[in-house]
Amino acid sequence: MRIKLSVNGSAYERDVEEHKTLLRFLREDLGFTGTKEGCGAGECGACTVFMNGKTVNSCMVLAVEADGAEVETIEGEAEAGKLSAIQAAFDRHHAIQCGFCTGGMVMSVRELLRSNPKPSVDEIKQGIEGNFCRCTGYQQIIEAVLDVSGQLGPGNKGELKHA
Amino acid sequence: MLQKFRYAKPRDKSELHALLAEYGKSAKLLAGGTDLLVNIRSGSQKPAIVIDVKKVTGFSGISWSAKEGLIIRPAVTINEVLGDAAVREKFPLLMECAHDLASYQIRNRATVIGNIVNASPCSDMAPGLLCLEARIVISSKRGERELPLVEFFTGVKKTVLREDEFVERIVVPAAAAGARGSYKKLKRINGHDLGIVGVALMKKDGLLRLGISSSAPTPVLVDGLRETDPEEKVAAAARKATSPISDVRCSQEYREFMIETFVKRLCREVK
Repeated sequence: MRIKLSVNGSAYERDVEEHKTLLRFLREDLGFTGTKEGCGAGECGACTVFMNGKTVNSCMVLAVEADGAEVETIEGEAEAGKLSAIQAAFDRHHAIQCGFCTGGMVMSVRELLRSNPKPSVDEIKQGIEGNFCRCTGYQQIIEAVLDVSGQLGPGNKGELKHA
Repeated sequence: MLQKFRYAKPRDKSELHALLAEYGKSAKLLAGGTDLLVNIRSGSQKPAIVIDVKKVTGFSGISWSAKEGLIIRPAVTINEVLGDAAVREKFPLLMECAHDLASYQIRNRATVIGNIVNASPCSDMAPGLLCLEARIVISSKRGERELPLVEFFTGVKKTVLREDEFVERIVVPAAAAGARGSYKKLKRINGHDLGIVGVALMKKDGLLRLGISSSAPTPVLVDGLRETDPEEKVAAAARKATSPISDVRCSQEYREFMIETFVKRLCREVK
């Protein structure tokens, strides 16, 4: 089936097999490999992308369902080669180890901060409940989100003092 | 890679009826896909055609009126329920059930009707909808039929739906608006997990009802109780209505214990 969609603001038109997931289409047909397949069943969140402004697990969306949609992936996060504020905070707080979860994690954090610019620790945990990180133990990620939302204050590097 | 299937996106009900008539058992309806695509991936379902119902005219949106009650249509996602002003104001119990369902990303896709038609014993929306005496409207080429949700489930992942039928809407009667209620779900982790047990309790006009998930082959409604009943009596009714099993997630005894614990806590907490 022929589909048209926009990814990170650029238009694409492709023939795609009807049983192909949006995740595989992004990675294999368009080359956006920042979006990862972890579990493939909607549990780990590594494949999280925005579709029409909402975060979805792209492993559980068919590419044909994205016909006419606006998709945003981790590749659209940095602008002109400069890390976004969320990415820079992840970097400062060592919120990345292997990096496999990071693309999806950043998408969920962006969505959380859009609706809740100063989330509490509990709200951050809820916001990333659909994203597994098996390296950091989450504390670094939580501190990065507190930092990027202006809640650590000057000189406060968080409990882990990474920043 | 998923096994091969055809994809169709009917624009109206007559196209959907025609597709169901043509493909019957080999067709599967797709709304949020959060169960269907997992099942196709695992090979437990092998549809010849996946019929996407989200663009069918009239299948979008949630609406409230004092005359017709709350109407939930097939494309309505869990997060749409959570963002709906009428639900927030009139059906706090549904808000709690919706909030406890899976993760944020899944709630952006998963639909209320999908959560019901899958007829999983651990459905999160069923306990609340059962308490509120929701009704199911089923459509086919032959016309419409309507029944109480409690009569919809017939077994584990089994319902009264025939091959050529689909659920067109769920109606929560206006009489249930303002019901006080709460939902408690036990799971192994705080985020996305299948429930170990789930208990919804509703109080309205002197009546008390329970909706219980993960505790019997289908979600269970416990009716015929009163707000003034002592919690021991309510817990005994819950025990009688459920038949939990032991599985990978916990033992039968633990489930029985937690159903009773949740029922008693809810009796106290729902004022």
